[in-house]
Amino acid sequence: MQIVLNEMIYKKAQIKIQQTGSLLIYQLSEIKNRRGQLKIQQMAFVLVALMIFFGLVSLIYFRLRVSNIEDSAVNLKDEEAKELVRKLSGSAEFAFTSEDCSNCIDFDKVLILSERKSYEGFWNLKHLEIQKVYPESEGICNRQNYPKCDTLKIIDSGENTGAITSSFVSLCRWESGKGEGYYKCEIGRILASGEGI
Amino acid sequence: MAKINNKRGLEMSFAWIFAIVVGAVIIFLAIYSTTRLIDTEKTTQNTEIGKEIGILLTPVETNLESGKAAIIKMPVETRIFNECKKLQGEVFGKQDISVSTKSNIGKEWESSGIASSFQNKYIFSGDVIEGKEFRIFTKPFEMPFKIADLTFIWSSNEEYCFINPTREIERDILDLELQGMEIVEDISLCSVNSKKVCFTRSGCDIDVDVNSQSVKKKKRTESVFYEDELIFGAILSDLENYECQVKRLMARDSELSSITISKSLFLSSKGCGSERLQPLLGSLSNKTLEIKSSLELREISNLAENIRRENDNLGCRLF
Repeated sequence: MQIVLNEMIYKKAQIKIQQTGSLLIYQLSEIKNRRGQLKIQQMAFVLVALMIFFGLVSLIYFRLRVSNIEDSAVNLKDEEAKELVRKLSGSAEFAFTSEDCSNCIDFDKVLILSERKSYEGFWNLKHLEIQKVYPESEGICNRQNYPKCDTLKIIDSGENTGAITSSFVSLCRWESGKGEGYYKCEIGRILASGEGI
Repeated sequence: MAKINNKRGLEMSFAWIFAIVVGAVIIFLAIYSTTRLIDTEKTTQNTEIGKEIGILLTPVETNLESGKAAIIKMPVETRIFNECKKLQGEVFGKQDISVSTKSNIGKEWESSGIASSFQNKYIFSGDVIEGKEFRIFTKPFEMPFKIADLTFIWSSNEEYCFINPTREIERDILDLELQGMEIVEDISLCSVNSKKVCFTRSGCDIDVDVNSQSVKKKKRTESVFYEDELIFGAILSDLENYECQVKRLMARDSELSSITISKSLFLSSKGCGSERLQPLLGSLSNKTLEIKSSLELREISNLAENIRRENDNLGCRLF
């Protein structure tokens, strides 16, 4: 009887030891899992931080790059307007060809040109006008007040024109005299601003 | 034997696998975005160069001069793509210029930048010109008044040998000291790699028939027809480009004729009688607008010559 009792106590003790062991193993693995989870969380945080960092860096880079491209587009547009203004008096639509005259504009022809829509966008210009410098006069030119006017607008987009480039020219036109008519030239200038690329 | 029986394999924690996968994704994204960024930068750069070349051509245009020459030097080997567009509905058509530069990294030739469009330029050259140095030559084109400046471009890699050319061509080449264009009396005197341009015989790379005012290239069966300064265009440019530019030039001639008619009407009230020019100018405006090919240039040129003569007889000349 005593032997049986001892065996039972022994078995009970064994079961208890087994239970304690498995509990310990379970607790140990739980600690490991928690550590793993913590590590994954750490890594996720680092990744998110890295993404935010790279995102910010690329945002700053693109902002700078876009502003550089905008600057060079503006420079190119101004450069184009400058070069064009210097050469416009020699172009077919402006040139005064009745006599040999360098830098002379046919004001009569340009008045007709200003009425034509087909030339919009032809010179890549946002704004193009001709101003009479001397003798002084006033008003926007049209068929009614021509040639007693000041400004002839050829391209007028109405928007902010940006930097305007100008070049002095001679404005030549046919003037009817008492007998025969004659060509009369006055001082004027071309004003232009470029359109973006 | 022990190794074969070892079934443990490579043991890796989840953290390692995660780090490797994420690391690979990050490295791939970095390489991909850098490559894309370099491509975009090169496209931007090529676009800017294209626009700059277009701008640089403006000072070479003429005023009272009969011609001008210039050289554009590039820092690296460059390809200039010359495309002429004249779509229906467009009044003046477009001159597109795009550029591609040679690169030492990656692809030898980068894709060309975005084309810069110019409505007021007429460039005669091959579809693609390649080189580090580009020769430019401009001549005003009149029919009967000045229509535009014709711009001829060829690279330093190209040489043209003119065998017994006309006096006008000889004068232009010699006066403007055009590089890459030589004048000889016999084909045997031409340099080996040059394109032979013959005026008095056929079978050369480019045959010019002065009587019919036509130019025929070796590999093409079709001829193109020219008037005055357009001869350089017919020699230097490809057939499609040439025909397109002729159409664009004639479209501008049509607009200018119609402006000149309006000017004539406007000035008639001011005592400048030029009414007899109006129907001729009207006819010129219609003919130039409806031009189908360079073959019709001769007829238009004759009409233009009549208008020029009539205008010269006027008390107040219209142009």
